[in-house]
Amino acid sequence: MSFELNRKLAARREPLPTSATVDPVTATIIRGGMETICFEAATHLGRAASSAIINQSNERNGSIVDAHGRLAGAAIGTPHLTFVSQFTVRYGLERIHDYDWGPGDVFLANDPDHGGGHLPDYNVYAPVYDDAGELILVQCLQAHQGDTGGKDPGGFTLEATDIFTEGMAFPCLKLVHRGQRRRDVFDMVVRNNRFPSIAGDLAAMIGGVQHSVGMLQDLVRKWGADTVRAAINYNVEQTERRVREEVGKWPDGTYEADVFIDHDTVGKARDIRVHVACTIEGDQLTVDLTGTDDRPDLVGVWNTFGNSRSYIMTQVVAAMDPGIVKNEGFFNAVNMIIPEGTIANPPPNKPAALGSFHPACEITEAVCVALSAIVPERSAPQVYKMGMPNAVIGVDELGRMWMDQGVDSRTCDTSAVEGIDGWGSCPVSLGNLLLSQVEDAESRFPIINVSREMTVDSEGAGRWRGQPGSLNVKQVLEPATAMAWMVTSKHPLRGMCGGNDASPYSNRFKVGTPEEHRIELSANEVLPQGSVIAYQYGGGAGFESPLQRDPLAVKEDVLDEIVSVKRAREKYGVVFTGTVEEFDLEVDVEATGALRRDMGAGKAAGAN
Amino acid sequence: MNYRVGIDIGGTFTDFALLKGSEVVLYKNLSTPEDRSIGVISGLEKLAGMEGLSMQDFMARCDAIVHGTTVADNTLIEMNGALTGLITTEGFRDEMEYRRGFKENIWDVRLKPPRQITPRRRRLTVPERILHDGSVHKPLDEEAVRRCCRRLKKQNVESVAISLLFSFVNPDHEKRVAAIVAEEMPGVHISCSHQVLPRSPEYDRTSTTVVNAYVAPRVTSYLESLVTRVREAGYRKQLMVMQASGGVMTREYIEGSPIRVLASGPAGGVIGSAHAGVAKGYNNLLCVDMGGTSYDISMVLGGAAPAVAGWNMHHRYLVGVPMVQVETLGAGGGSICHAENGEVEVGPASAGSEPGPICYGRGGTRPTITDALLMLGILSADSQFAGGSFSLTREGVEEAFQAIGDRMGYSAQDAAFDCWRVVNANMSQGVQRITAGKGVDARDMCMLAYGGNGPAFAAIQAEDLGIERVLVPKASPTFSALGTLVADPCIDEERSYLVPADRVDAGTLKALWRELAERARGYFTAAGFAADEVSARYQLNMRYPGQNWALTFSVRVSPGLDDLSFVDDGIGQRAIEAFNKQHMEEYGHIREHELPEITGVRLSTSVATPSPVVAHGYSAPTALARVAKTRQANLGDGFRETDVFRGGDLVPGHEVLGPAIIEETFTTIVVYPNWKLLVDDAGDYELTRC
Repeated sequence: MSFELNRKLAARREPLPTSATVDPVTATIIRGGMETICFEAATHLGRAASSAIINQSNERNGSIVDAHGRLAGAAIGTPHLTFVSQFTVRYGLERIHDYDWGPGDVFLANDPDHGGGHLPDYNVYAPVYDDAGELILVQCLQAHQGDTGGKDPGGFTLEATDIFTEGMAFPCLKLVHRGQRRRDVFDMVVRNNRFPSIAGDLAAMIGGVQHSVGMLQDLVRKWGADTVRAAINYNVEQTERRVREEVGKWPDGTYEADVFIDHDTVGKARDIRVHVACTIEGDQLTVDLTGTDDRPDLVGVWNTFGNSRSYIMTQVVAAMDPGIVKNEGFFNAVNMIIPEGTIANPPPNKPAALGSFHPACEITEAVCVALSAIVPERSAPQVYKMGMPNAVIGVDELGRMWMDQGVDSRTCDTSAVEGIDGWGSCPVSLGNLLLSQVEDAESRFPIINVSREMTVDSEGAGRWRGQPGSLNVKQVLEPATAMAWMVTSKHPLRGMCGGNDASPYSNRFKVGTPEEHRIELSANEVLPQGSVIAYQYGGGAGFESPLQRDPLAVKEDVLDEIVSVKRAREKYGVVFTGTVEEFDLEVDVEATGALRRDMGAGKAAGAN
Repeated sequence: MNYRVGIDIGGTFTDFALLKGSEVVLYKNLSTPEDRSIGVISGLEKLAGMEGLSMQDFMARCDAIVHGTTVADNTLIEMNGALTGLITTEGFRDEMEYRRGFKENIWDVRLKPPRQITPRRRRLTVPERILHDGSVHKPLDEEAVRRCCRRLKKQNVESVAISLLFSFVNPDHEKRVAAIVAEEMPGVHISCSHQVLPRSPEYDRTSTTVVNAYVAPRVTSYLESLVTRVREAGYRKQLMVMQASGGVMTREYIEGSPIRVLASGPAGGVIGSAHAGVAKGYNNLLCVDMGGTSYDISMVLGGAAPAVAGWNMHHRYLVGVPMVQVETLGAGGGSICHAENGEVEVGPASAGSEPGPICYGRGGTRPTITDALLMLGILSADSQFAGGSFSLTREGVEEAFQAIGDRMGYSAQDAAFDCWRVVNANMSQGVQRITAGKGVDARDMCMLAYGGNGPAFAAIQAEDLGIERVLVPKASPTFSALGTLVADPCIDEERSYLVPADRVDAGTLKALWRELAERARGYFTAAGFAADEVSARYQLNMRYPGQNWALTFSVRVSPGLDDLSFVDDGIGQRAIEAFNKQHMEEYGHIREHELPEITGVRLSTSVATPSPVVAHGYSAPTALARVAKTRQANLGDGFRETDVFRGGDLVPGHEVLGPAIIEETFTTIVVYPNWKLLVDDAGDYELTRC
């Protein structure tokens, strides 16, 4: 629980001792087997869990860590969670004797100061032993829980100044001892949670890892422990080699970027800065966050050390051949400097809940902006910039609390990359998270989803454009409380290589009444029956200048009512004849050429 | 003796399997894309001739004509379906584009979007709203529906999907929209979500409905003309159509939701594979089917290939109906080869059968994989092709590959070889994706290769995966057709009913099952089956409150459709017990203090029909087979004089050592270096690694 512990957890780990050698095909087959087991564990959890964020949003993650605490394999979930899961296990491995690890055990960890991300991310993990009783692997299953037993439902307390306000922290808690569930411990975890469904979800997580442990034991039995260790060593080394090959192709130099968050969670401090310098020397990439904000009195914008490493890595892997296998080899190949005391490596006991959104995503975004100078063709930021979307909380007729977490279908932050317009509803790295659907949500909560369409003219313009943002409107059918934290209004998602920034986020409560108001910072309001709330998601950013966009592509956007005729002229310099209504729209080539020349000249003059 | 005929209509060839008693006769001819029923009729005439019967006599003696079709799949691969529009609830225009956030590869920031079947300009909304309990929150704005119709008409829309929120609970608004569309846009095809997939959630249902709308006009018109033609030819029974679920059903039934034939040809192949594999003692099979247009991969585990409903991403579009799991790649003999940005690419576009590969000499000008095989000597212009229906020609082939070679800076031969390498890599990667998801070591599996082009490539994929054994059934070129004869007629449908299990109303359950049973009875009776031949599985979908996915289990399996006496006041309690038992089996835990809810009722009905008998396939004493001729061929390591065998010369017990080529009537089997081939006592081929 200190910077010293962080340094210890982050230290490079040795390869596993083994007397076996392994051929590449066998190493690949063993890796495929492990990935499949992760996939099955996560699938199992997704189907058996009942909290919406797990079973509708798929916010769950399977990974396998080796006996040295290295990430050995992963298959599903999001990169942001995948790259932090080995960290909590490493703390457990530190205390392996104190905590009496053995076959059949299952542990729970979520402590931000002991390798974790934020409190809601429960990592349930179980050691895998071979028949000789030696520890070979650890199966992890990580999932976001609906509550953490802190001051506010959901675990997000805007004004929290310490972790204890946010809820219960478990550094390494044994839930199952040698195959027997510890009822007292299990019940204590369940008791410290507002939602009774936690019991089922936790049981589902335990069931998932136990299922995987059985399969991993079979895998170890089939190949032999030594061969499995040799395969993990091979795969980790192979990944490091591939990453260094890619970096070796990049030009040497230092590439820097600044990205800002509008304000902290209480609005006292503004323009919170993340600074990144990416340095390439031969095949060594160094990502240095020196210069990132370290004001000690900032509230709510502290991202844990383990999380910061993970969010850096999420963008680094995006910048490379997607075929490179994801494991510890990435961490072995990339040097990270994350100064102690900054918002990316906070002192102990800082709150962690909202830091996992911001500055976590700004760290990712800054790495993207810096690397866009080197790999423009892969520079799409892998972020979610929404602060905290509107969570609506109420109590049913039996006195049970319900919460709509607001992970609804929508589009946001889907930036363009060279040659491809932004598309779909989120950046690719979040493509495993299935968003909530009206027909499921309304069967559970007294809410009507009024609309959630894309917003015209909200795309980040560019030669390749971002996907527009969307407006999600809801009406509460019973009195309820709504919570929100708004960012990305003043500092929207950054455009790449001369592309426009994305459109900003905004949020309005009690829409259509005299009390209608915009949420500037945060909200925790009681909504009377019938109230309407409207959350505007920001769009994706553009790539290169909109004046370079193919006028015919602009025409398609206008026909699809993504871009208005007015915006086509003002942003893209494209002039049309005909109308959208009659489907006889044509590009006026001459007028477009002239307008674009004027605009280009104006821009050049403005730049001077 | 009476006949059963299985027909599989692919993009390039139409395959026939004729079952008489336990004997199977095979035939195939070219598909006729402008009207596929023409190829079917000419094939049936050929079969009649082979049996020494007139067409009328032959057809009169057919107990069943069963067929699978890739019409829907090819439509999605080539993206040439109907111009489709979508009408949905106001506020929900973009669900098709959101895809619930799903993207296929979370690591590739250069992943491209799937093409929109309904781009935004053809996704229109109408004011209306039904709530989860079926009540009307906002009435339907009929004038808005008419305005939508006018906008869609202006865009020449041919097929309209209608998907409104909660229509699976209360379909009134959808029905009214459909009526207005029919009035305003006479002649357009209409697909309603409450008919295509009556369950939540909205993206799954809407996507399935949109894909249905996209493929429906082509599937329907094809089935109609086929039915007319077989009737004219003297067939007196119902035409049976293979479904994605692995069961077959009548055309009348299929036309209610043509999406059910998606992947039905491949499903037939999988059902046939399981049948053949199990007979030979191989319960775990990796099935690969390479025809003219596509490469289909599937698995049989423990002798079965169950249909799965739900999150089926098919050609990048979600299709929620029950499907045997088959992965399709655009890689077939007709896949077009080209050079782009210094890279050789193959497919997904296919030359099909019209004009077909250049070497067919039917006007094709773009080089295909079949042309590459000719360049490599794996096929020969000197041998008969497709059962002797025509010979291949080299004319124009070399020039076409030279054009690719010019862009790449090497010879025509090198270009053909690279195309061959690329298509092999595409197929190997596809196969790896399929096996990775299943927790099975490919080395414990047997590969079963079929389709006209499968056996020419299979050993390469087997080698890439570490598979030691490849089975090539004698019937391999028409295997999917054979599979349709194995599949039983089947109807599998559900209805939504959301209720806590302790408050279930036996009367409502009875009514829903009775409705499904009546539908099944109607269709089975029309198909010529007696109600007492039908066996029924009465199933419930249940979950704990808050769970997203339901478990399906049978509460009653019975012969006949009439006995609903098991639905009494105790059914809720029995359902809870059965659900908890199932949950424990699947997930290892139950929720002690939670009461599960019912989400729907399901009825799966089927009728057992006769199947072909597959020989067991023990190894006869071996003898080296006699070489028919030799020719220069490149099997991966350069041109060399290669032994060529005639399939007709090979008898059980014959062994062939690679490298060698076997020319079968409808396919070419390549025995690669370090592989050998053995003919088993059933006449089927088994390739093993030396």
